[in-house]
Formats: sequence, structure tokens, C-alpha cells
Amino acid sequence: MHPLRHPRNALVIGVLFVVIAVIYWAVPYFGGWHLDYAGVTMLAALGIAMALMAYVLIAGSPSE
Amino acid sequence: MATTAPALTPAASGYRSGLYEWLTTTDHKKIGILYVVNSFIFFFLGGLLALGVRTELAQPGLQFLADENLYNELFTMHGTVMIFLFIIPMLVGFGNYVVPLQVGAPDMAFPRINALSFWMLPLAGTLLFLGFATGGAAAAGWTSYSPLAQDRPLGSVGPGQDLWIVGLILVGTSSILGSINFLVTIFKMRAPGMTLFRMPILVWTVLVTSVLVLMATPVLTSALVMLFIDRNYGGSFFDPANGGNAVLWQNVFWFYSHPAVYIMVLPAMGMISEILPVFSRKPLFGYKAFVFATAGIGALGFSVWAHHMFTTGSVYLPFFSLMTFLIAVPTGVKMFNWIFTLFRGKLTFSTPLLFALGFLSMFLIGGINGAFSAAVPVDFALHDTYWVVAHLHYVLFGGSVFGVFAGVYFWFPKMTGRMLGEGLGKVQFVLMFIGFNLTFFPMHALGLSGMPRRIADYASDAGWNELNLAATVGGFLIAASILPFLWNVFVSLRSGKPAGDDPWEGNTLEWATSSPPPPYNFDHLPEIRSERPVFDLRHGRAGSGH
Amino acid sequence: MTSDSQALTTTEHSPVAGFAHDASGGISNPILGMLLFITSEVMFFAGLFAAYFASRAAVAPWPPTEFEHTLEAFGPVFPATIMLVISSVTCQIGVNAIRRDDRAGFIRAIGITLVLGIMFLLIQVFDYGLLYSEGLTVAAGPYGTTYYTLTGFHGAHVFGGVIMLGVVLYRGMAGQFSSRHHDAVEATSIYWHFVDVVWIGLYTTLYWLR
Repeated sequence: MHPLRHPRNALVIGVLFVVIAVIYWAVPYFGGWHLDYAGVTMLAALGIAMALMAYVLIAGSPSE
Repeated sequence: MATTAPALTPAASGYRSGLYEWLTTTDHKKIGILYVVNSFIFFFLGGLLALGVRTELAQPGLQFLADENLYNELFTMHGTVMIFLFIIPMLVGFGNYVVPLQVGAPDMAFPRINALSFWMLPLAGTLLFLGFATGGAAAAGWTSYSPLAQDRPLGSVGPGQDLWIVGLILVGTSSILGSINFLVTIFKMRAPGMTLFRMPILVWTVLVTSVLVLMATPVLTSALVMLFIDRNYGGSFFDPANGGNAVLWQNVFWFYSHPAVYIMVLPAMGMISEILPVFSRKPLFGYKAFVFATAGIGALGFSVWAHHMFTTGSVYLPFFSLMTFLIAVPTGVKMFNWIFTLFRGKLTFSTPLLFALGFLSMFLIGGINGAFSAAVPVDFALHDTYWVVAHLHYVLFGGSVFGVFAGVYFWFPKMTGRMLGEGLGKVQFVLMFIGFNLTFFPMHALGLSGMPRRIADYASDAGWNELNLAATVGGFLIAASILPFLWNVFVSLRSGKPAGDDPWEGNTLEWATSSPPPPYNFDHLPEIRSERPVFDLRHGRAGSGH
Repeated sequence: MTSDSQALTTTEHSPVAGFAHDASGGISNPILGMLLFITSEVMFFAGLFAAYFASRAAVAPWPPTEFEHTLEAFGPVFPATIMLVISSVTCQIGVNAIRRDDRAGFIRAIGITLVLGIMFLLIQVFDYGLLYSEGLTVAAGPYGTTYYTLTGFHGAHVFGGVIMLGVVLYRGMAGQFSSRHHDAVEATSIYWHFVDVVWIGLYTTLYWLR
């Protein structure tokens, strides 16, 4: 199956945002700068939501 | 495929088009037209508000407005109306009309929810404007920062700010439902043979835009709800006097409002990407690169929001500056896609192409002045000055609005069966192009010399007088350019040249049916072997062959 | 993976085994629509949670001293949580029943789910009354505002879910569902599970993490 058709690969987009969220948390945390909890929360939630959306769209598409 | 007679006679298709039909329709084509007409009405209202702003600013001193608070209402409502009631729904309207046709579907996935999404908009607009009649419209800027949005220090007289909140929650809900509709339509209802990478670019941009709407708009809804609780139930989210945090509003608000700017421009880019190939007689250069660039913009668009907040002191500056510069890369890729589509093409300078070229040049300027602001030290000086006003109008007006007019001239024949007049179209383009640049180019200099945004008046010895006057003249020139447009529409609807199925020798499926299409869209579909099925049909071979 | 056009209910080969799907092998449109709607709801609660975590980080002590023991993990919310979790189980039992065409079992299970959902709401309202009398109100600083906003919007979503369950129950009793046609049941159950998951997140964050 084409990589873009495999539902599991759809989760990659979610992982991307969770990674960004982790970076966004880790750098200020270890660097001693102001930590934006609101932004970390929203980015992490975005990862979950994106993964869910990408999965259902790819898995739910008709097979041709 | 028979060409149609002048298509406004309902009898031709046996399909009623009376008032009742328009009020109760679930046909994506009619709903698309409703969106477009409604959006134009709000474009004119928002434009009048802008003229109010520009009239006051033409000369130093408060000449026309009784007090500065009315000025605050004018620019607040101008921004709010243009963003939420004009540009976003306008692009949704074009998407509504064109996307099901371009994927070969008979309608959107959820036609009744589609109608609901539309009808929420006039209601929302009414609520927003009701503020003017109940003591004062919202006046805290379209960005509604606290504590000003909490009626501190300037207390608002009426419920204008609360009406603003409720109106925007309605608009947001309409958008979210629409995005679900688009996504299900695009993923589930494509014609056989149309793989994802054979979809027209406009469908791709609507897809990415719908993802942004789906993910970002609910965050705005949550912010609006929290503001409502602060204002009406003694909440402590954003009100510093109550233990809240004003920067928290900015954070949550911009988490939506930055992706929002891509929501406001990506479909227009999609429309340009349909128009340039047709009028260059060449396929879009680098289809796949364009798709990935669009997806990249969508993804990166979520990680730059705090570049609107560099000066708050609460932002991790290097992260956002870097991400903001990064987003110039996929945008630049698209610029090259478009330019190389034109390069060595056989160009026909019809009005759609003129507006598309206007888009390319003006959006380029907007992108360049935006790149300046991405540098933190530069932004520290230019934040909240007229430089930003110049930037946002170059990308949103020079970009999206020119894209919208390109789309209007391109798809009006499909929607109505009539061509818009080329002469009047060119007059509109020239007036609008000159007026637009006269209004907004001076704002670069105004910003650089320190003129702040959102001020009703300025000192007569600041050196800003001539540029402000020029900008006001330009604003009225833009208003004047609307007149040939309206006349063009009026005349063409009655006696414009009949368009036939395919007046432009288009590439995509909407040109494979009558103008306007029958309610069920297609009698039969051509074979789909590339992203240009109608081109392939016309020339008897596979187009790009992927 | 090719779909068998006659097999409208077969699930073995579908990557989303279990979801009712249409003849072309994808998830049916209404169910896909509900799933996407839920992703938007995740982002709505994300904004509220973002405000919660930001407020919590900015205000010390958290909980404020006057509310240190107000939110009790084993107070009325504990049985409410148990009920909501069980209601998700019964909801899924109902879905599985209608997939097998067991209409009586489906109606029983959805009925129990509905009752449990209503009980959750009643306990929530009762608990709000208790908290109000202890001084925790919407206007009681960021602690109170965030608590009521988060739990209040969750409760509103439970209420919406109760309405949906009621409609599904009514339509089920009117004989409108079969193993081949029950998209509304699937969509409602997905929504109900989502509401439950959000509650687990809320309960953990507000009552355990504190």
C-alpha cells in the first residue's frame, strides 16, 4: 500500500506536533526562561487531534 | 455535451429559482452563491467602516468623529467584519461552489449542515452590528485584548462587546461545521480515478484550510467563552484586576488567529493556481511541490503564533522568530511554482489573469515586509505601528482580495452562464490596483517613522500629514473601483455574452458540465487520469500522467 | 485491500474494524463527520486546559489556602466518575448488540447508559451546590473560574450526549435501527466515549494533580 494510504503513517503528523510541544516545553525549562504552559498544552492537544484526524481520514477513505 | 442557452431561465433545467428555493436550498451551488453575495455585502459594509477611519485620518485633528471611542468602534468592526464576515466566508463560498464540481461529486457530504453553516452568518453579522444600535459596538480592536475588552479603563455603554463575542462564536461554529463538510466530501466523494494527487490544487488548498479551521477555530471559541465569563460572571481568566492574566488571552487568541491568516489566504492561492495554468496554457509547475508546500504552511502555521506577542516579555523569542522565518520557505516555493507556470506560457491577459498577476506582485510585497517583522529587534520597533497595517493589507487585500476577484471573473461564467465584461473588468482592476497601492504603500513609511496603529488623531508636526492624505485618497479610489464592478455584474447578468460550458478552455471538471450546472452536477464524467481531466479530454491524451 | 461490495457489515478486512462502513469500504459519512467533530472538540477543551495550566503556574499557592480541601477526589465526583465509566461500557455493549441485530439488548444497554448519564449530571449539580456553599464560586479567583468553566462545559457536553442518547433510544424503540443501518448509534457512542475520556482527563487534572 502507498505510504500515504497506510493509516498508521497518518499518526506521524500528530507525532510532529507532540515533538514541537516537547521542544517548546523543554528548551525554556532547561534553559531557565519563562515557560508558556498554555502554548505547551495547546500544541500537545493539537498533536492528539491531528493524529486522530489524519487516522480517521486515511483509514476512512474508500479503497480503490 | 450540449451548450446551454442563456442559463438564467429556470425553465431550461426545470429547476425552480424563486425566493423560497434560495431560502431553503441545500444545493452547494446555490449555497456557494449565497455565501459569495453575503460576503460581498459585508465587504461593502467593512469598506464603509474603513472609509470612516480614513476620512478621520486624512488630516490631523478630530474633524468628523464626536469622540475617539466611535473611532475605536470603526476600526474594531472594520477588522472584525472583513476577517470573519467577508474574507473567510467568501473563500468558503467559492470552495462550496467549486470543490464538489472539481472532485466530480453531486453535492457536499452534508447538504443540510451546509445550509445551516451559511444561515448562521447573516445572523452573526446582525448581532455584531446590533452593537451600533445598543449603545456602542465592540471597540477593543478585532484582537480584543484585556483589560480593555473587560471594559477597563474605557467602560462600554452597551452590550456591544458581548454581542461581538456571541456573533463570533456563531461564525466559528459555522466555520467548523463547514470544515467537516469539506473534509468528508474531499476524502469520501471523489470521482473514480481521482486519487489524492490528481485532485485540483484548489481542492488541496481547501483541504489544508479545512484542517486549519477544524483545529484552530475551536481554540478561538474557548477564548471567547472565557472572555464572556470574565465579563459577565466575575471570572478571572484574563482580567488582571481579578487575578487573571492578560497575556493568557493573547496566547490563546493568537493560537487561533495566526492559523486564521492562512485560512484567509490558502484558498485564494488555490484559485490563483487554477487560473494561472489556464491563462498560460501550461500545467501548474511543480504540482507535488506545491501540495507539500501548502501542507508545510499549514503545519508551520501552528507554531508561530507568538510572533504577534514579541513585545509582551512572556515569549520565548528565538523559537517563534525561527519558525516565522521558516514559513517563508514553503511560501517562496509556491511563488516559484506560479512564476514558472507563467514562464514561456502563452499568456492571455483577460481580467482573471490580471487579478492573478496583481495577487502575485502584491502578495510578494506583503511577504517581504512580513519577513522584516519576523526579526525580533525589528519587530520591537515596528510592532503596533502602521508598518503592520501595511503588511496585513498587502497580504490580505493585495493577496486574498485580488485572488477573490480573479476567482469571481473566472467562475462567474460557470455560475451564471454569462461572461463578465472585459472592458469594465480591466477598469476595475486598474482603479483597484492603483487605489490599493496608494492607500497602503505609504503606510510602510508611516510605520517606519513611528505612527502607531489605532489612533484617531495625530500631531500635525509629526510629518505624517501628506502620507495620510494620500492613503485616504487611495481608499476612496478603491471604493470607486467597486462601481464598475457592480455595474459589470448588473449588466452581465441581464445581457452578458453567453458563456457555454467551457469559455476559458479550462482544465478541471467543472468545465465538463453546463453553465450553470444542473442540480446533480454531471450527466457523465470524463475519464480521470491526471489533475487536468478536461484538458485531457480536449486533447485526447494523458496530461501530466500521475 | 479491496472491499466486497456485497459485504455491507463485514469488518474483518477493514482497518477501522468495528465502524459501520459503506459499500466503498470507507467509514460512512456521518460517522466520519462525528469523528472529525470530536477532533474539533479536543481543541476546544485544549484552550480551556491551556488557561487552567497557565493560571495554575501563575498563582501560588494552588490550590489557594482557602480552597485547599474543597475539591475532594473521593467526594461526590467519585461515584459520578464510576458511573460515567460504566456508562461507556454499557454504551459499547449497546453498539455491539445492534451490530448483531440484537435490538432488545441494544435498547436495554442504551437505556442504562442514558440513566447513568443523567445520574452523572444530577450528582454534578448537587456537587456544585455543595461547593458554592463552601465559597468556591465562578468569581472566586482563577481557581474557581477555571474549575467551573472546565467542569461546566464538560457537563454541557454530557447534557448534549444525553439528548443524543435519548433520541437514539427513541428511534431504537421505534424500530429504526438494524445491523445494517445504525449510523446514529455508532456516532452517538463515539461522542459518548469522547465525553467520558474528557472527564477522566478533568478528574485526574482537577482532583488528583490539583
